Amino acid sequence: MGDFPLPRIKDFIRRVTPFDTLGEDELSAVVARMEIAYFPRGEVIIRAGGPPATDLAIIQSGSVKVTLPEMDGGEILVDIRGEGETFGAVSLLQGSQALFEVTAREDVIAFLLPAAKFRELVDRNPAFKRHFSFSLARNLQAVQRNPATWFATGHQGESLGLDAQLARSLVGELMTTQVLTCTPDTPVREAARQMTRRRVGSVVVCGAEGRALGILTDTDLRARVLAGGADPEAPVGEVMSRPVRTIHPKAFAFEAMLEMIRHRVHHLAVGEGGRLLGVISDHDLRVVTGAAPVGLVRDLDKIHSPDELELVHQRLDPVLEMLLRLGGSAQYMLDLASEFNDRLTTKILELTELEMESQGLGRAPATYAWLALGSAGRREQALRTCQMNGLVYDDLPPERREAGARWFLTLGARAVERLALAGFPLCAEGQLASQPAWCQDRSGWARALEDLIAERGVCVMPQAGPLFDFRAVGGSDGFAAFLRQRVTKVLETNRQFLARLARLLPYSRAPLGFLRDYVVDKSGEYQARLDLKQSGLTPLVHGVRVLALEQGLAATSTLERLEALARRGVVSDTFAGDLREAFSFITLMRIARHLEARAAGLEPDAQVVPASLSPVQRKMLKDSFAIINELQDLLARRHQDQQVA
Amino acid sequence: MAESFQNGGLRLYLARARNRWLRFRLRGRDLDPRALANLGALDNLRLDEPARTHRFVVLDLETTGLDPNKDRVVSVGAFRVVGGRVRLGEVFSELCNPGRDIPVESIKVHAIVPDMIHQARPAWEVFLDFLGFLGHDILVAHYAPFDVYFMNRVMKGQFGFPLQNLVLDTVELCRTLLLKPDPYGVYLDFKKCGLDALAELFAVEVPERHTALGDALATALIFQRFMQKLESQGRGSLREMIKLGGMAA
Repeated sequence: MGDFPLPRIKDFIRRVTPFDTLGEDELSAVVARMEIAYFPRGEVIIRAGGPPATDLAIIQSGSVKVTLPEMDGGEILVDIRGEGETFGAVSLLQGSQALFEVTAREDVIAFLLPAAKFRELVDRNPAFKRHFSFSLARNLQAVQRNPATWFATGHQGESLGLDAQLARSLVGELMTTQVLTCTPDTPVREAARQMTRRRVGSVVVCGAEGRALGILTDTDLRARVLAGGADPEAPVGEVMSRPVRTIHPKAFAFEAMLEMIRHRVHHLAVGEGGRLLGVISDHDLRVVTGAAPVGLVRDLDKIHSPDELELVHQRLDPVLEMLLRLGGSAQYMLDLASEFNDRLTTKILELTELEMESQGLGRAPATYAWLALGSAGRREQALRTCQMNGLVYDDLPPERREAGARWFLTLGARAVERLALAGFPLCAEGQLASQPAWCQDRSGWARALEDLIAERGVCVMPQAGPLFDFRAVGGSDGFAAFLRQRVTKVLETNRQFLARLARLLPYSRAPLGFLRDYVVDKSGEYQARLDLKQSGLTPLVHGVRVLALEQGLAATSTLERLEALARRGVVSDTFAGDLREAFSFITLMRIARHLEARAAGLEPDAQVVPASLSPVQRKMLKDSFAIINELQDLLARRHQDQQVA
Repeated sequence: MAESFQNGGLRLYLARARNRWLRFRLRGRDLDPRALANLGALDNLRLDEPARTHRFVVLDLETTGLDPNKDRVVSVGAFRVVGGRVRLGEVFSELCNPGRDIPVESIKVHAIVPDMIHQARPAWEVFLDFLGFLGHDILVAHYAPFDVYFMNRVMKGQFGFPLQNLVLDTVELCRTLLLKPDPYGVYLDFKKCGLDALAELFAVEVPERHTALGDALATALIFQRFMQKLESQGRGSLREMIKLGGMAA
């Protein structure tokens, strides 16, 4: 047939990713196969557990929610889809029963593309294949209000072999069902013999009722028996790893991968309702991916010389980025990244110490801790943003004080340099362990923080905030706990400081009135772009920080602080929940923007163009900013009262 | 309305009786195959099955004006609705040559200028093609008597009998489903059943308003809503739909 007679329908479809990659004739042919359907609000369009979708639906108007029903009758909100977005692809491509429930949130008019034509497009057109295998992956995480739509376009240059296959495979399909089990009183030697005979890398240790108590793996045998010196005749129960991490057979392979990385284990038990069904190991995953997940962390352990650190930047960053892309909740991503960053920092310190010793500078003259400040201190440094850190060590007797300070300053300077090499740039005006002011003994740090609160000394007010997010990396947390105590005590006697700190907020008040294609800043200026960090994260994080300082909380991460604040009744549970969602949403969006920019070879920034967002995304962003403004109002009220008093 | 039957079954029964009489009258004649096909239009309707399981063709005409006696058709547009869904690939869309000047007033509405219809075929030829597209499906139109009048002029001229298909009118559906009962036929709020008003009410975005095809699509989307509305009231059968939306005789 010739041109489609209703050009505006075609224009609409043309703007939908990935239909935008189709040629004119092909687009006409696709549109001619479509049907328009109407779903009234509340109608369940695809029922979880029911037959798979028969069409791919493109929403013309209205919105749907994608949910995952839970056993107890509740549901987990996975996603909200609006105009120009699609649904039905997952069950269509999988062809098995539908996993997600799709319900019309409002009256929905949708264009439906029949399954046969859709599959043909996916098979023939690489853009379709990429887009839908990707959206498959992002669908498969039942994450609350998952704004993973952000990841839809950031998938170019995937060269790591970890693709749709991984996203599509279920743990149940990859696991080993021939599980070797034994009781906890079996001697280790006997268990090892069984493992060798059955040629498996693990044995699951089960209690009387068949529940998995722990797992004994090759690694345990090597580390605890051969190297650790445990008695080979000892019962397995004493040597096994415990508890064994369990994953559901319907979970997706990449979820197993994240779980392994997170807990740094190589094996997961696969179970359902307390019943052991199989075991999945990183070897099983390697079959699918060609790369072992735990390898990410292991590669780091393998670095033996500071020169290899540059490799981290080049080789491991893409892996980390890919994991972020596969993603999950904001919390998950931040945890994953900080775990990795912490290990990197520890590794750098370890190598530098060895190097200094070999150069005749001697060992560390006192115990010390590396203090992560700012986003690293909050465990929120998912991206390679600039470093901010300090070093604190035990007080030394006067005669050794000067030499000690020199030693630690050298350590600090080298570590900072190496972190930079590994991809963390130096801030223009940040605190660094290479500067004498931030490389001090305990008393020095305590004095510095007191000065800060009394507003004398080196650090001026606007930069003070991130300093309070200090956290010790590696080693003992005693230093951080000591300093936290001091800060809390000093703040108790100086409420004025908190009031002033709180007042820093209005400078970065979130823009609220952004409508349609532009942003109206509260100051009245028109802005075409919106800075997620400046206008979103910074005020939120700062507001929560002020409340946390006021309460003397030990937690530094924003989400943990919020939880503690809600527990103490400083903020209501609902408000804490809203803030949590706003934080997660903006964080995910920022990570996505960053990855997108990287994939496109651009300099990453935190800016979004509101006009480029879907209506649902804009709405959620707007809601998030409204919540942040509410937080600022709350702080303003709180500290106004205090000043009057 | 006084003459509207309260029972959809009776309505179809009478239509079928007329159809049988017509077939009896025409038996043994050498009919045009298209005419013969149209005589079977009522054979496969199942009154107590859901309306959704039937096939519909939603028609819209653009004309040189609103007076059926002197105005002519300039374009015909139609969509098929199957299983309650509008099929974008089954479209009938053609301009007609009205054989006379197009009044400026109507050009303002549908933007069809004389040059465009110069090459077009006369309306009766287009209608006979449309008859093939329609087949045995139920015809739906917004204010159906208007469209049916034009079709019947061709039908009677060519075959000697009127269109046999069952006809539903979205204006009737609007009156019976959305407006308050109006036993005296005053229709004070008749405007509420206009195509624009209904499109706005249902938030239906009309892609190309005032083209035959665009208006046919709008009508189809509105018809979709009425079908859903009836289903939600437990009145989804064809019988109910004929009762509430059958074209006024």
